[in-house]
Amino acid sequence: MAHATHRLRYAVVGLVLVGSFAFLLFKGLGTALNFYLPADQAVQQKASLGGKTFNLEGVVEPGSIHATPNGVDFVVTSGATKLPVVNSGSPPELFRPDIPVIAVGHFDGGTFVSNQILVKHSSNYIAQHPARVTAPNGSKQ
Amino acid sequence: MSPNPTVPSPIVQSPRVRWTVRIVGVTAAVAVAFTVWLGLWVTPPDQTQGDLVRLVYLHPGVAWVALYLAFGLAAAASILYLWPRTRSLFWDRLAAAAVEVGVVFNVCTLISGSIWGRPTWGVWWAWDARLTSTAVLLVLFLGYLALRRVPAEPEVRARRSAFVALFAAVDVPIVHFSVLWWKTLHQGATVLNPNLSPTIHGSMAWTLLLGFVALTLVFVWMLLVRYRIGFLEDWLGSSELDVALLERRAEGMA
Repeated sequence: MAHATHRLRYAVVGLVLVGSFAFLLFKGLGTALNFYLPADQAVQQKASLGGKTFNLEGVVEPGSIHATPNGVDFVVTSGATKLPVVNSGSPPELFRPDIPVIAVGHFDGGTFVSNQILVKHSSNYIAQHPARVTAPNGSKQ
Repeated sequence: MSPNPTVPSPIVQSPRVRWTVRIVGVTAAVAVAFTVWLGLWVTPPDQTQGDLVRLVYLHPGVAWVALYLAFGLAAAASILYLWPRTRSLFWDRLAAAAVEVGVVFNVCTLISGSIWGRPTWGVWWAWDARLTSTAVLLVLFLGYLALRRVPAEPEVRARRSAFVALFAAVDVPIVHFSVLWWKTLHQGATVLNPNLSPTIHGSMAWTLLLGFVALTLVFVWMLLVRYRIGFLEDWLGSSELDVALLERRAEGMA
């Protein structure tokens, strides 16, 4: 009797583990391993993407950010490509010009309509005090 | 009538070893306290992230312990167990202790990363390659710990576990290189980047380094304590068996 309950317990634990492993693998491969598509590549593949929802990446063009009644408009650049983004909802705290962001949405004519912005911060850490520190690339920050 | 199996354990019983463990523990606590002080009060805020940058002194160090120290050690110990010339239950016990500590640090990696992700990226979680492969790593090593609970002869369990540890450890380089191989939301490496030129500097870099040292000491301390417990568990198990055998024998004679 005790033996049977033990076996059942192992089976349940095994099932839960295998199930969660499969789920994670599915989610990982489901987003095709690449989390986003750079805006220049997205514009090239616009015809095949159609109205599909995907993650678009680009750098926020300085001076292009305008608050709108239900969100924010801005332009992302990626290589030589510039693409206007219309976002509904407020972007995260760190959203600002000249940083890479990911917009979740789809093409609508010549613009990208999104409902979520993710800020893709870099792995560079630079102290905030101006003129007191030198950035890793040698420039005064 | 009570059997008294001796503990064949200079490692576990010697006062010198126990003092070493204590000293490692105290040093780790001091190093952590010093990191907290530097991280929260001395270092400047970051240009982009402001005060959120302070998580850099914790999160990468925790991940470093989980991935490279704990799971790396578990993989190395598993190979040494499987290698006939070095086969010893010492390596099996060490691998088990390393995985258990590693799982704790893996969970802390996911939690601290999530707490950092919410205010910076804007989301608690994203299914990008780095985050997903780290979650997979946790599930794999939880599987390892579950397997160890299945009753078996110590040698059978050790062999099985070693194979599973090596299989699970394949995910470690995948986690490490995920930010290079695929487009991820997670940033690339700051220190161990392809150019090996750290993109962090000054007091921030030193605090980051101290954080790595402090968390490494915490890992060593936890590993030593866990190894000792594992050893005593095994010894207790075998002494209980001796008691049971003697009792059965006594019943037979009565």
